[in-house]
Amino acid sequence: MNLIREIWQSIVRRDRLSTDKGKSELVFLNVWLHIHPAKVKREHMKFSHTFYLGFITFFLFLILLTTGIALMCYYRPYPPQAYQDMKDLEFVVYMGSFLRAMHRWAAHGMVVCVFLHMCRVFYTGSYKKPRQFNWVVGVVLLLLTLGLSFTGYLLPWDQLAYWAITVGTNIGSYAPLVGGQLRELLLGGHTVGEAALLRFYVLHVAVLPSLLILLTIVHLWRVRKDGGLSRPVWKLKESKLETLVTIGAPAETAALQAQPAVTSKTYGLMEVVTGKPIFETVTPEEEEDTVFSYPYAFVREALALMATVTAIMTISLLFRAPLEELANPAKTPNPAKAPWYFLGLQELVSHSALLGGVVAPALMVVALLAIPYFDRNPSRQLTQRKWALGLFTLFVVVNLVLIVVGTFFRGPGWALVPPWVHVVGGAE
Amino acid sequence: MERRLQQIFFALSLLALALIVAAAWQANTPSWKTYQHKFYELEAQGEPNAVAKAAVLATPPEIHQQLLTGLQRVDRCTTCHLGVEDPTMKDAPEPFRYHAGLGPHVPARFGCTICHGGQGLATDEESAHGKVDFWPNPLLTKDYIRASCGRCHKEGDVPGVPELTEGRRLFETQGCPGCHKLNGVGGSIGPDLTGEGANHRSPDWLERHFLAPNVVSTGSAMPNFHFSKDQARALTYYMLSLTSEDMGTYYSSVRLIPGPEFGRQLFVEKNCITCHNIGGVGSKTGTDLQGVAQKHSIEWLDEQLVNPELVYPGSSMPAYDLEANARKALVAFLSSATADDAQAIISRRPRPLTPEDVAIEAGKQDFARFGCVGCHGTELQGGVANPNAQGGEVPSLLHLSDDYTKDEVLAIIRNGRVPPMDNPNGAAPPLYMPAWKKVLSDEDINRIADYLWSKQQQKKDSW
Repeated sequence: MNLIREIWQSIVRRDRLSTDKGKSELVFLNVWLHIHPAKVKREHMKFSHTFYLGFITFFLFLILLTTGIALMCYYRPYPPQAYQDMKDLEFVVYMGSFLRAMHRWAAHGMVVCVFLHMCRVFYTGSYKKPRQFNWVVGVVLLLLTLGLSFTGYLLPWDQLAYWAITVGTNIGSYAPLVGGQLRELLLGGHTVGEAALLRFYVLHVAVLPSLLILLTIVHLWRVRKDGGLSRPVWKLKESKLETLVTIGAPAETAALQAQPAVTSKTYGLMEVVTGKPIFETVTPEEEEDTVFSYPYAFVREALALMATVTAIMTISLLFRAPLEELANPAKTPNPAKAPWYFLGLQELVSHSALLGGVVAPALMVVALLAIPYFDRNPSRQLTQRKWALGLFTLFVVVNLVLIVVGTFFRGPGWALVPPWVHVVGGAE
Repeated sequence: MERRLQQIFFALSLLALALIVAAAWQANTPSWKTYQHKFYELEAQGEPNAVAKAAVLATPPEIHQQLLTGLQRVDRCTTCHLGVEDPTMKDAPEPFRYHAGLGPHVPARFGCTICHGGQGLATDEESAHGKVDFWPNPLLTKDYIRASCGRCHKEGDVPGVPELTEGRRLFETQGCPGCHKLNGVGGSIGPDLTGEGANHRSPDWLERHFLAPNVVSTGSAMPNFHFSKDQARALTYYMLSLTSEDMGTYYSSVRLIPGPEFGRQLFVEKNCITCHNIGGVGSKTGTDLQGVAQKHSIEWLDEQLVNPELVYPGSSMPAYDLEANARKALVAFLSSATADDAQAIISRRPRPLTPEDVAIEAGKQDFARFGCVGCHGTELQGGVANPNAQGGEVPSLLHLSDDYTKDEVLAIIRNGRVPPMDNPNGAAPPLYMPAWKKVLSDEDINRIADYLWSKQQQKKDSW
């Protein structure tokens, strides 16, 4: 028994979890949990403030990673075989249909959640100093997510995939000067073909996920360094606002120079860098607000994980992932539509290729990236940010309306057709 | 609160477990397993003793499939249709019934879907029978399955499928190539029909379409040919058989079925009777071919046809460049040929023709082959409706010489012509004369003109 205990101790190396020391060590001594603080403020865990959207997005990514690796075992990125492999997954591979459905629905879910997460961060003003750059990282992560979903869209090599990617890459080619070349670089040719499938596969399983993981690490690390999860600042006393906003952000002129309060004490490097003593005295009321991450934060995260997993599994049991006919370059569906999250773009393109396909999306991305630097208003209170909220809400609503119109109200020839009208003989 | 959260976490974990179990249960109980179990029960009934019964029932469930690389498909139909090759299952209920009359078309080599249609990769009934969204090729109904024979047997007679032969004959003689391209030959007024069978129109649609083209396909320029129901069906068979799929060497090698009928055709074509005789009827230069198939083995005869000199050194018989199936067909014909056959072949040879006759006959052939008859009629009578053209129909060609010189007619054939309109503000008439100069040689065009001139009726003389 002693040996077993010794082995266990050699693995966990912490005191029992019933003690405060054990709870702290659980975080301190574990490389994976270390991204958490040992203690968190209760407000950090407030569901109605963050809706845990960041966590849910991350968990969806984990689902995508695991199901994606499993799917790779059955997939050959070569035109006719790729489609046959889809059919094999549907009809022959044990639980293959379920696996594919989980991957598909989690992918759509991730696009939705990453967007909702962005909205939440905006509405709570969590992109403000010192978190400006983390917002930029987040926007890049949104673009990577769209890229992953878009590249994955082609892989089944059915009509849906083929024409969505054809339309999607055509939109990109409207960019002046480089558009055509960019499209050719992406497709490895002038049309979507076997070279395009291989390139999309490489992007989908290697390049984009690696970038996404790297940037996610940066994203999470910065959240931690900038004072942890977002919390409703406006409920705190005015006197505290200033200090909270500047936590972790050294004053612009700060030199690596100690301002010793007590000359007899030796200061460590960390104290010099942050300008604060490590053993900062905490006021009793502040201490009252905090709890140990174990179990308070961890159980909530685990709950979010289980809720995400069960939701995706339930949807996957009820709805199979779509799979149309084998891709046929000679037979264009009418209308050919891009993936749903690009249908807003396609709607714009239908009005003006250059303005809708290039200028508008480029401006949108630049505007999103510039938000934290453009918005100089330091306040995070809703009542003091009317312009910002109005503009962002307009951006969200316009995007949603365009996507809804593109998805449900466009029929053959991109004519305006309400979804309740059935068009006869569109394909004949 | 904390306790409640832990309870919810526990409940969600249980739910996740239940969902995994549900997914596994779904994966473990596909309908094909039920069918296999039923089949083995049926098979066990025929076993003599309990041990054998138990052995049959203990057969592990597995997916059966035919990998048909030559046909670029994988057929898993025999996962449920387990009795297809088992004659004892001839009275069994579907899906287990024996498939009689397969002949050389064994499932291991042909699978099922190449003839029947459906989705070979699927393993549940609905999907496999192709009656689902996004599978354009559902099972063919019993009436039309035989059309699939034409997918490999692209030429000549297909025994048991007179519809195909008739469909092909109609296509060539009714002028269809005038408007439709097939394998790169033909006009471009109508759609290219090269892969028509792969367009997966329902047989019913095709048949109704042949009976009344522009009722089924609104605005179609295709004239109503007043086909009978049988003719419409024959054409439907032919359409269903048209495919541009790559069939693989083994399958395309039986483009022609090596039957005696085809052998006889070759015997006539190659003028064998010029040297040989059958039972004394014909030329005595070569050997009597009656009973030759009984005297020699098939291999010997085949070798003789490939290289006569090798078998008979010094033989004056030329080495005909015949493909394997053509040689088989000749042998098949010879094994039953009699003096009567030789007599018939000799008596049907056309009289020696004058060069003019030959040119006019060739012009007539061209007129049919390139589809002119589609609009102008097999007897040059015209009369096919062409709304808003002068007279409302394609004109008769029987009185050409009244209005045109021969040179003018040659120019019209070469360069085409848009018919003058009844109402100049109306829609252009759907049918027009295409320019043929890129399709036909000058020689062909001259022949056609000769043919037309030979048929002119002298209207002026009639009054």
